[in-house]
Amino acid sequence: MTTLVAVPDQRTDSAAFSEEALTHLDTLYRGALRLTRDPDRAQDLVQDTYVRALRYQHSYQPGTNMKAWLFAIMRNLFWDRFKGGRQEDVSLDDLGDFALYDTLKDTSAIPETEVLDRIAADEVVKAVEKLPPLHREVVLLVDVEGFSYKDAAQVIGIPIGTVMSRLHRARQQLQKQLYDYALESGIVPAERSA
Amino acid sequence: MNGNLSCDECMERLDEFVDRELTDAEIREVRLHLEFCPPCEERYRFQAGFKRLVKVCCEQDKAPAALREKLQKILF
Ligand SMILES: [Zn+2]
Repeated sequence: MTTLVAVPDQRTDSAAFSEEALTHLDTLYRGALRLTRDPDRAQDLVQDTYVRALRYQHSYQPGTNMKAWLFAIMRNLFWDRFKGGRQEDVSLDDLGDFALYDTLKDTSAIPETEVLDRIAADEVVKAVEKLPPLHREVVLLVDVEGFSYKDAAQVIGIPIGTVMSRLHRARQQLQKQLYDYALESGIVPAERSA
Repeated sequence: MNGNLSCDECMERLDEFVDRELTDAEIREVRLHLEFCPPCEERYRFQAGFKRLVKVCCEQDKAPAALREKLQKILF
């Protein structure tokens, strides 16, 4: 592995690093907000993430994925701070092969994709925040921030296959919750008894 | 190699297709199937729409200005 180490002007390098790091602020804040579910804690988590990033900036290789690098720092801080470092894999309810699409197809008179348009943004956020943190972070990385499975796997430190299975179950759980909400709020009429 | 996927094979790859994780050759196979299979294509559109919904809804928050200012001081 060859790394080009350039050390001409430390000060400029550091400023460039900080500048690039700040372009990811909204992304990190959103992630922190979803992880902590609390604006104050989210701000603290983001601030500590930047402090740590600054301290370890020498370990960042310019030209690689800084967003992923920052996210990795943040999620490690989150787990240390709020979960005592224990990354318990809380199991999700077994939903069998629940799929919102099939359920709607069987029960709803409204076109399936139209149901999606009627779901309030708040409810989606609520559903995401209800996921156990290990499932939540995969959704944040892959669905919200557009990370590849590989990058998400690296950020979290798990195999790609685990990313895929967590993601699949997380989406299933989200769809189930949003289906329940759609029923309660009358977006989808209550199930016809067959 | 026969490029015709069955519906089951197509659906097995749906997550990866929606997440843009397939190779170019695999993408072509899935696209070809979707083009000629309305039920699978409809399911694909739903899954893609669901992913988009999650993204759009979770993307609305911006970092508070006070936090940005604080970080400016710390970083520069
Ligand atoms: Zn098909």
